[in-house]
Amino acid sequence: MSRVATRSAFATFRDQYAELMRSAFLIDLQYRASIAIWLLWGITEPIISLGIWWSIAAGGAVDGYTREDFARYFFGVALVNQATLSWDAWNIDRWIREGEMNFRLTRPIAPIHEAIADNIAYKAPTAVIILTAWIGAATFWPAVRIPFEPGRWALAIIAIVLAAAIRFLNGYATGLLAFWTTRATALVELQFGLSLFLSGRIAPLSLLPPQVVRAAEYLWFPYVLSFPVEVLTGTVTTGGQYARGFGGQAIWLAIWLLLYLLVWTRGRRRYGAVGG
Amino acid sequence: MTGIRRAMIVLRAFWQLNWLEELQYRGNFIASLLGTVFWLLMAMLTVALYFRHTPRLGGWEYWDVVVLLGIFNALAGVVETVLRPGIGHLPTDVRSGALDLVLVRPVDAQFYVSFRRLDVWRLADVVLGLALSGYAFAQSGRTVSAWALIAFAVTFAVAIAVVYAIWVTLMSLAFWFVAVENMSALFDAVFEAARYPVSAYPGALRFLFVYLIPIAWTTTIPASALTGRLNPSLALWAMGVGIVALGASRLLWRVALKRYTSAGG
Repeated sequence: MSRVATRSAFATFRDQYAELMRSAFLIDLQYRASIAIWLLWGITEPIISLGIWWSIAAGGAVDGYTREDFARYFFGVALVNQATLSWDAWNIDRWIREGEMNFRLTRPIAPIHEAIADNIAYKAPTAVIILTAWIGAATFWPAVRIPFEPGRWALAIIAIVLAAAIRFLNGYATGLLAFWTTRATALVELQFGLSLFLSGRIAPLSLLPPQVVRAAEYLWFPYVLSFPVEVLTGTVTTGGQYARGFGGQAIWLAIWLLLYLLVWTRGRRRYGAVGG
Repeated sequence: MTGIRRAMIVLRAFWQLNWLEELQYRGNFIASLLGTVFWLLMAMLTVALYFRHTPRLGGWEYWDVVVLLGIFNALAGVVETVLRPGIGHLPTDVRSGALDLVLVRPVDAQFYVSFRRLDVWRLADVVLGLALSGYAFAQSGRTVSAWALIAFAVTFAVAIAVVYAIWVTLMSLAFWFVAVENMSALFDAVFEAARYPVSAYPGALRFLFVYLIPIAWTTTIPASALTGRLNPSLALWAMGVGIVALGASRLLWRVALKRYTSAGG
């Protein structure tokens, strides 16, 4: 019996993934300078927010947040945001508008796997770069040191991976609306704008008006950024907080996965290729 | 001055064509307007959030910061209307060799590249931004003086010059780093910092924004002119910064252009 025949479907799938990730990584390597610029672009927003809060907190703690707390929080935001960024809607928009979706549909593997591989190949190395910069900063700036608690760090990694999955599916499913409308990316931008507040990009959630925070907790926004950051920095402490956070992540992961499947199966049927 | 007159004629022809083209996409106007209003709202909510926790931001009261925010939006509108569709395309032109077609034309290349295209709908951002500044100014309860208006007009022109110079500088780098396609993302990132008065930042960032990446001169100074924070000597300094920035960027452009060897072929 030949080796090929005994290969499980899983092994084939795994090899396809490895190949997709390898090629995505090699392409990224060609664009090192561009990636450096995107990295810089990603960290300026938290740096600006930190700068403003740092000045505001000059006179003392702001609702319990000292300058050092803000520093740790926004370093966490920079890291988690890099690991959970979502840009796929713009790719899908182009694929559908310019007909690049066509050859992707003929492949034996759904286009979402190419996007996932692409995301992993980009985010893993760049998140490590930010982490290295953080460790570097922590050696001479005690404010950004976080306590040595390997158990907590492990939980933070799980929370970050779940957050990345939710945000990815959220962006991808919204992007697939491009099957119906030419303004799918505008919907992504709308969510991006709301996430300034509801995800805690501009400030820790506890500094927002309580009604806003309560509303946010019914949506996915806090679970894709604020929660992983607060696990990392040590703001999340009680079992109840952990349960609510991971529970929210599990629910929203399931919801966005279902929404993706729905939009993908419906949209594909609706698709009429461009060109040719 | 036939050179300038010829340039103006060329420019008029471009913009007319451009206008006719854009008229076909009136739906874009509504979409872009909605987008601008949405982001203005988000920006104002952000400022409101800061002011929930502090009475002043770098010594500026709430409505004064909103005046500044309006100016920021107006300048961002200038970027979207003229710079991004014009000189923002330079890296692509350099990579593809399309710059050849620019260089053979009988007009100054920098002039042509900079002003070849207008995203006219984004002019609404400029109007909305200035309207917001006007509204916030009225709310702040200040009275307007002729000196403040003149100083604002001058420093706002300086701000446009500085922003333009930053774009020329960044885009000229495309001649060295051909593979870098997202140079404008660098501007977008750093310009975000100009949403707030430069005095609201800690010392290190303030130094960076005043001297190294001169965005402090783009929003803080015109807003200072309107809110009575600008003394005449600072206004003169601002004019100096504008002239130096324009001159330096022109110089860099010329050095950069010498490196251009076309593509393909």
